[in-house]
Amino acid sequence: MRQTSSLTILRRTVSTPVILILLLVAFAILSWAVGSRPFNQTVIDILVQVTLVTGLYIFIGNSGVISFGHAAFACLGGYVIAWTTIKPMMKKNAMPGLPDWLMSMEIGWWAAAALAALWAALWAGIFGAILMRLSGIAASIATFAMLAMINAIYSNWSGVTGGTSSIVGIPIIRSVWPYLAVASLAVIIAWAYSISRHGLILRAARDEPTAARASGVDIPRARLIAFVLSGAVMGAGGAMLALSIGVVTPNTFYLGLTFTTLSMLVVGGMGSLSGAVLGVLILSSLIQVLRWLEAGVQIGTSTFALPGGVQEIGLGVVMILILMFRPTGIMGNRELKFPWRR
Amino acid sequence: MSELSADGVSVAFAGLKALSEVSLKVSSGQILGLIGPNGAGKTTLVNVLTGFQAPTSGAVLLDGASLTGAEAHEVRRRGIARTFQGGRLFRDLPVIDNLEVTGLGLGLSRAAAIREAEEMLDWIGIASLADRIAGTLPYTDERRVAIGRALMRQPKFLLLDEPAAGMSAQEANDLSDLIRRIARERDCGVLLIEHNVGLVLGVCDHIVVLDSGAVIETGPPAAIRASETVRHAYMGTAADTDLPVQEALV
Ligand SMILES: Nc1ncnc2c1ncn2[C@@H]1O[C@H](COP(=O)(O)OP(=O)(O)OP(=O)(O)O)[C@@H](O)[C@H]1O
Ligand SMILES: [Mg+2]
Repeated sequence: MRQTSSLTILRRTVSTPVILILLLVAFAILSWAVGSRPFNQTVIDILVQVTLVTGLYIFIGNSGVISFGHAAFACLGGYVIAWTTIKPMMKKNAMPGLPDWLMSMEIGWWAAAALAALWAALWAGIFGAILMRLSGIAASIATFAMLAMINAIYSNWSGVTGGTSSIVGIPIIRSVWPYLAVASLAVIIAWAYSISRHGLILRAARDEPTAARASGVDIPRARLIAFVLSGAVMGAGGAMLALSIGVVTPNTFYLGLTFTTLSMLVVGGMGSLSGAVLGVLILSSLIQVLRWLEAGVQIGTSTFALPGGVQEIGLGVVMILILMFRPTGIMGNRELKFPWRR
Repeated sequence: MSELSADGVSVAFAGLKALSEVSLKVSSGQILGLIGPNGAGKTTLVNVLTGFQAPTSGAVLLDGASLTGAEAHEVRRRGIARTFQGGRLFRDLPVIDNLEVTGLGLGLSRAAAIREAEEMLDWIGIASLADRIAGTLPYTDERRVAIGRALMRQPKFLLLDEPAAGMSAQEANDLSDLIRRIARERDCGVLLIEHNVGLVLGVCDHIVVLDSGAVIETGPPAAIRASETVRHAYMGTAADTDLPVQEALV
C-alpha cells in the first residue's frame, strides 16, 4: 500500500534543505574558525547571494518564467534597511523628505529585515497582479521594465531615497550568524513552497500549461503566489546585502546584481533549489579566486597578477561553457538527497 | 440532470471559418458522438466548449447559464473536463501525480488529492501504473491516464478528443467499456470525438456529424450508418482511405 500522508511527502524531501543548510553552516563555521576579516566578509557575501538567488529560484524555478526584475525587490528591501536602521540624526541630512514616524524609527536588524521582506512582497503583489497575466518573453521583458521603473523612482525621489547618492550610516553587521540564519530561512521557505500544493501546481503549469488549465489551474494566480513569496525573500536578501556593506545606492541593486544572481541560478540549474545554492557557492568561489588573481599572488619572488576585468570575463566564459555543455545547469531538475531513500 | 450545449457557435480564424452556427447538446449519462473528416472543426468545438477558444459568435450554456468567455480553468471547475488529441500528460511526473495535480488545481489538499487519485486509478483499473513516469507510458496507457486525470473530482461532462487513436481493436473495445462505465456509473455526460467510426457507432446514444465547420447530420447510430450525406462527406476527403469508415458505414 502506498503511503500518502503529508508526513510522507515531508520525509521524502526534507533531506534537500538539510543538506543545503549543512553546507551553509560549514561555510559559516569555516569563516569563524579562520577568523580572518576578509574571509569573513567573503562568506557573508556568499550567504547574502544564497538568500538572493534562492529568492530568484522560488519564482523562476517553479514558474519557468525568467525574471530580469527581481533586483528591484532587493532594492525595495535594501532601502527599508536605510529607512529603519540609520540614526535619525543622519537620516535628516540624507533623506529629509521621510515622514516623521519613519524619520524617528530605529529598529533592530531582524525586525528591519522582516519589514523589508513585507515591503518587497507588497510591491511584488501589486506588480505581479498585472505581470503574471503575460507569458514567455513578454513576461520577462515586463519584469525588466519593472526593474527600470523602480530604479528610476529610487534614483529620482531624492527626499526619501537620497537620489543616486550613496546613503551611508547603516549599522554594519560583521558576524556571519545573522546571514546564515536568513539564508537558511530562505532555503527552508523555498523548499516548503516547492513541496506545497502551490509549488506542485506551478511546476505542472510550467511543463504543460494547456493541460494545467484543463486541470482547473489558474496559472496567473499560481504564478502570483510564487512571485510574492520570491519578492519577499529577495527583499530580505536586499536587506542583508545593505546590512553587510552599510551603504545603499539604487545601482547597488540594478543590472550588476541582476546579472550575477541570474548567472548563478542558470549555472546551478534553474529548476532546482540545490542548483540555486550550488550555483552561488561555485560561482562565488570562482569570483573570489579571480579577484585574488587580479590583486596579484606571490609566486616565489615574482608577483603574478591578472589584468583588471578578468573577473567579469571569467564569469562570462564559465557561464557560456556551462550553458553549452549542460544547458539545464549543473543540477538540472535534480535535488541533492541523502542516498538512503528508495 | 445537467445539460451542456453549444448554441449557434461560430469560430473564424483570420478569414477561415472553422465553425459556422454549430449547435449541439449533451446531457448527464448520455454519450454523444462527434465525427467528421480531418479539419472539420471537431477539436475547435471542444476548445470552445472548454474555454480554450472564444467563439466569434454564439454561446456555450451549462444548465441554461452562459459559460461563454469563461477561462479554461473556470470551465473545468464548473465540471466540464476534457482530454487532448496529443495526450498532454505532465510527462516528468509519475502517473499518480498527474491526477494529484488536477485534484490540487480543483482545490483539494495534497493528501486528499492523492487519496482521490489512487481511488481513480483503481476505478479505471490502472493502479499498477501509479508510480510510472507519465512520459514513459505506451500510447494506450497514456490515454487511460488522461481520462483518469479528467475524471478527478467528478466532472459533470467529459469531452474526449480522439481517445482511441492508435489503439488496436481489442484496446478500442476496452475503451468502449470504460466510456460506457463513465456514463452509467458516474452519470457523466460524454462527448466523444473519434475517427474510429465503428467505435462511435457502437458506443454512442446519439451522433453529430461535422463537415467543414457545419453540422451536416445528426441522429442515432442507425440513422448515421444509413445516411447518404455522411457517406459523401467521408468519401469526399482524401484522408478517408486510412480510416475504417467504409467498413463501418456499409
Ligand atoms: N488556432 C488556429 N488558428 C488557425 N486555424 C486553426 C486553428 N485551429 C484550427 N484551425 C483550423 O480550423 C479548422 C478546424 O480544425 P480542427 O482542429 O477543429 O479540426 P478537427 O476536426 O479536430 O480535425 P482532426 O480530425 O484532424 O483533429 C482546420 O482547417 C484548422 O486548420
Ligand atoms: Mg482534432
